Amino acid sequence: MNAPLTIILTGALVAASCSLVGTFLVLRKMALLGDAISHAVLPGIVIAFLFTNSLASFPALVGASVVGIATVFLVEALHRSRRLYEDTSIGVVFPALFSLGVILVSVYAGQVHIDTDCVLYGEIGLSNLDEWIVGGKSLGPRSIWVTGGVMLFDLLFVLAFYKELKLVSFDPDLAASIGYSPMLVHYLLMTVVSITVVASFESVGSILVVAMLVVPPAAAYLLSAQLINMILIAIAIAVASSAAGYAFARSVDCSIAGAMAFSAGLFFLAAFFASPRNGLVARIVLRWRLRERLTRQLLLLHLKARVTVEEARTLQPEDLVVRFGWSRSRIDRAVRRLRANGLIESSGGRLWLTQAGKAALDREGTAVLAHR
Amino acid sequence: MSKFGISLLRRCSLYLGLAATLLFSACDSGAGVALSSAGGSLKILATTSMIGDIAARIAGPHATVESLMGPGVDPHLYKTSESDVRRLENADLILYNGLNLEGKMGEIFEALSRSRRVVAVSKDITAAELRTPPEFKGHHDPHIWFDVKLWSTVVGPIRRELSSLDPAHAADYVKNAETVAQELSSLDAWVESHVAMIPADRRILVTAHDAFGYFGRRYQVEVVALQGISTVAEFSVHDVERLTQRIVERKVPAVFIESSVPRRNIEAVQKACEAKGHKVSIGGELFSDAMGAAGTPEGTYRGMVEHNVRLILQALR
Repeated sequence: MNAPLTIILTGALVAASCSLVGTFLVLRKMALLGDAISHAVLPGIVIAFLFTNSLASFPALVGASVVGIATVFLVEALHRSRRLYEDTSIGVVFPALFSLGVILVSVYAGQVHIDTDCVLYGEIGLSNLDEWIVGGKSLGPRSIWVTGGVMLFDLLFVLAFYKELKLVSFDPDLAASIGYSPMLVHYLLMTVVSITVVASFESVGSILVVAMLVVPPAAAYLLSAQLINMILIAIAIAVASSAAGYAFARSVDCSIAGAMAFSAGLFFLAAFFASPRNGLVARIVLRWRLRERLTRQLLLLHLKARVTVEEARTLQPEDLVVRFGWSRSRIDRAVRRLRANGLIESSGGRLWLTQAGKAALDREGTAVLAHR
Repeated sequence: MSKFGISLLRRCSLYLGLAATLLFSACDSGAGVALSSAGGSLKILATTSMIGDIAARIAGPHATVESLMGPGVDPHLYKTSESDVRRLENADLILYNGLNLEGKMGEIFEALSRSRRVVAVSKDITAAELRTPPEFKGHHDPHIWFDVKLWSTVVGPIRRELSSLDPAHAADYVKNAETVAQELSSLDAWVESHVAMIPADRRILVTAHDAFGYFGRRYQVEVVALQGISTVAEFSVHDVERLTQRIVERKVPAVFIESSVPRRNIEAVQKACEAKGHKVSIGGELFSDAMGAAGTPEGTYRGMVEHNVRLILQALR
């Protein structure tokens, strides 16, 4: 397989599996867990080295996996004690483990080059060079096997526990009351996250994993209110980020993992501004519409209140400027719209309710505006 | 907008910023550096520019030599750019330092050497010639290029690989290799004679991290570093205290910063010495893990070594 294809595929597999499990992390307000694990694994690597006297990646991977699982269990247990919030639990656990690693390095291994960057973290740009060789035969890039395996594992986990995951993500109390164990599901989820994160670190390094765990699910969260759609959108964004990131890295010749994470960020920004439901633009439009309708409602009610008295026909738009503090253009827009609907009439700068408008208002109240 | 939405935006903009920093720092470092544009048909890729420089001299006009890690790049923190991927894919010969200098990439190269021409230039060096911490057998100090005599042993593997890759020009490679070896030998003598000008009791080199061990051993300079080889464990108060004590006792006139390690580390030591009433100056910036920019005198192996030695001589004499 050629280099670009291997790299894009590896990136897409990592991004997809991270987004899949990351969706549940975002819903559980534990999005920073990946970041935490990236630091917390240091003591695992150091201890693996002290035991094996080897800086090869396999012992490091084993050490990191064990500490990764310990990290998520500690976080979960602390959070479960109900004494700390999610983010505080994460914030307490990982510095403790990271500092333990730093102490171990400075006491035992200061003369050996050991840190997460050079021992554990892989580099996506090298993924096509690192082949899996069994019995002298090459089975293709190791990263594809590892990340593909992780993806399959995550997919099976989510498929098997979908109902449980959904329930405990949104309503753990209900889940507990109808016989599911939120605790068991959470511990399982956290274990899966830890395995996914550590294996992905080993294949592609940290930035891509940390970003893909959060950014595509966050974008999907803004685009959909349904769990299944959120997952599918997150995965789609993750895969698209991998391809777009590679193209970006090629055009400006820069770090590939960085470009992929950056692309995911751009997708998030697009969702943030342009989401039809939650996007900034949609919100602004919605607020504008509500305001305009309120203007028309108040105008109608005001006219109706005055219609019985003699001064009805003397109402001028300027009076409304004074009375409601509205701008002239705002009043003009409302008047234009209401006239077009035949609810009011104006002549010589004066406003009044038409017969049809009066009848409709008596019949339906301001709901008369619902579709106009 | 919901509160959650805002916190999501904050969180994601953090990652976006992080990714952008990484991205552009990788772009800035200029990724690879062409060391010889002679345009030969062979493509040789070296990891560090020190290896690339020697390889380019031996290959002469028969090959294009490039190095992955440009000026000022810390080999431990190197990230591949997109063009590096293609360079790695298309290279006829990949030369790397080995001894774990390249971290995980070295591990991949070692496996790759079974199917492609990938060679660790340090392969001829025996374990006895390497510096090894007594408690960790087999984990040698990879900074072999500051002992010029030891570094000249990389000429052999490079010449052999080139000759077997391109037998038609083998005679040229042998001739060039001899020239390079001679130059290195005279450079070695030059360094020795210059270091000898420093009074023996002042021959103490204080640096930020432990990259000059081989230099010290070869030229009888006592080397004291604030940090060990790994830079993940930040130096401790005890480290600063120990180093300061040493500097004050030995009346060391100058300490040095390194091109790839933050200068504030060594400045902390300077301050601590001043507090004890011993004024120590900063001798300048030594090239440690990478050479200078291509096209400058320090952009060659020889220029880099000469720069370091002149700086040390000036500050300590």
